[in-house]
Amino acid sequence: MNGKERILTALSHREPDRVPLYIHAINEKPIILLTRDLIPDLPDPEKTFYDMTDGEKFKMLEALFVVHEHYGVDGFTALEFGHEQRIGPEEVRDGWGVVYQLNRFGLPVARRHPLPERGDLKGYRPPAPQKENLLLLLAAKARFQDQKAVFWMMRGTFVLSWRLCGMENLMLKMFDDPDFVHRIAQMTFDYNVQMLDLLVEAGLDVLIIEDDIADKNFPLISPDQFKEFINPYNRRLVEAAHKKGLKVIRHSDGNLWPLLDILLDTGYDGLNPLEPQAGMDLKRVKDYCGDRLCLLGNIDCIELLPEGSPDEVRAAVRQAILDAGQGGGLIICSSNSLHPGVKPENCRAMFQAVHEYGQYPLRL
Amino acid sequence: MDLLSQLVEQICLGQQDRVRELVREAIEQDIAVTRILSQGLIPGMDRVGEKFQTGEYFIPNMLLAARAMKGALEILRPLLAESGAKAVGKVVIGTVKGDLHDIGKNLVRMMLEGKGFEVLDLGMDVSPETFVKAVDDSVDIVGLSCLLSTTAPFIRDTIVALDKAGLRDRVKVMVGGGMVTQKLADDVGADAYGQDAALGAVKALELMGGAR
Repeated sequence: MNGKERILTALSHREPDRVPLYIHAINEKPIILLTRDLIPDLPDPEKTFYDMTDGEKFKMLEALFVVHEHYGVDGFTALEFGHEQRIGPEEVRDGWGVVYQLNRFGLPVARRHPLPERGDLKGYRPPAPQKENLLLLLAAKARFQDQKAVFWMMRGTFVLSWRLCGMENLMLKMFDDPDFVHRIAQMTFDYNVQMLDLLVEAGLDVLIIEDDIADKNFPLISPDQFKEFINPYNRRLVEAAHKKGLKVIRHSDGNLWPLLDILLDTGYDGLNPLEPQAGMDLKRVKDYCGDRLCLLGNIDCIELLPEGSPDEVRAAVRQAILDAGQGGGLIICSSNSLHPGVKPENCRAMFQAVHEYGQYPLRL
Repeated sequence: MDLLSQLVEQICLGQQDRVRELVREAIEQDIAVTRILSQGLIPGMDRVGEKFQTGEYFIPNMLLAARAMKGALEILRPLLAESGAKAVGKVVIGTVKGDLHDIGKNLVRMMLEGKGFEVLDLGMDVSPETFVKAVDDSVDIVGLSCLLSTTAPFIRDTIVALDKAGLRDRVKVMVGGGMVTQKLADDVGADAYGQDAALGAVKALELMGGAR
């Protein structure tokens, strides 16, 4: 089997030839540290993508592909590029008019919001999805030639809505002005459903609805608010994507137990990234809904990958396969992004352990 | 139901207009401002914290209640100053260097104010030096918030900076936020860890009952 077949088989709850390996997201520093023996003259690992020259950015793209090829990663995540404009040394603005401040690791954090009040809707024109912003998806399709599954990270209703209004403001508006919250949500849906057409045309394999809705303890909003303001819009996206033949993964950080039944009912094919520190114990999730949801994730990137040893990482991968590998429906990746703090030797140990322990039929 | 019990209930429901009305009525009825605070607003926010911890309330409910509390405090603050009432303690709070996420820190601030603390909020991306500068004789607790694992080293750096400035014995340090665990709190030598905003405020009150 190739990577794409492996991923799609696992997502269909059947056993592929091996448990698939996936990278949900990866930062500049681990990309560079994992490939600098393979590619000459990569940028300084401390440099953020925003600060790289065009030449360096092309090198990073090559390095990103090489990480997937060299370590036998079965799926590749693409996301929108080119929709952001640098407006200052530490600020970028996206097509919606949201202004992000870049933290010292180049992570953009939404700080200014174009639609805090109902009155701001007047005269506001939401962006239209642009085909040229699918560059990473098109490049990955061309590079991997269907040997790997290509995923697209689409921001969901909650994330897009709070970026437009401000998070605390959006939460208060759920009490003060529910109709305003629905209008914002509808706007995000309209954008995403148009984007879906472009993605399918470009040959997408798997859609990820990335919509962080929980912290390590609780959902950020109540299950009732989730059912009223957020999930109906994401559900329509899932239905639209299914109609186009795509598998759909739900990504959210945090403790999703209070929302899990709602997510199951929404019809997602998979759930990611299953953070152990947020109570998303892999075996418990597998026992509860492993027959309905493919599980993607769970190798701890908060303590294990930054501070553990390669042997501990290998043991964690083996345990995850034992806990959730039987019958398919498991794709191994880290419990969130491979961020600048993870040790490259631990990433290598994770990649290799999946190849070593993940062969079906499982013999662990 | 008496006026102060109604106040507790309306704070808990986050009814800002009704809370303002009740506070004004209480003042008109010559109820002492310290009593309005200690038997109306604070128990109201305590109840909000309890409901948050049991999973009945979520962050939006806390924001609503905190907004109502803030409206009440705007009316009460000048009168509290006249009465010479003292806060239960003073907390300096901020997200550590590099961390640009503040909703958790804002919730902790609201819950601390709800317990009668004075809070000096230094905002986001606060350097160890800025924390050190903000600590004077009036400060009891320094609260460090951190969402990301990439910025976690700055928790330790801030505590080290407080130590080097000779302030570590004079203030307690509390930590909390997305990636902070009890283990990390122990490793960096913090005095308390708040698993969530409500528990953080409870821990702060416990710290005030200790050394000072």
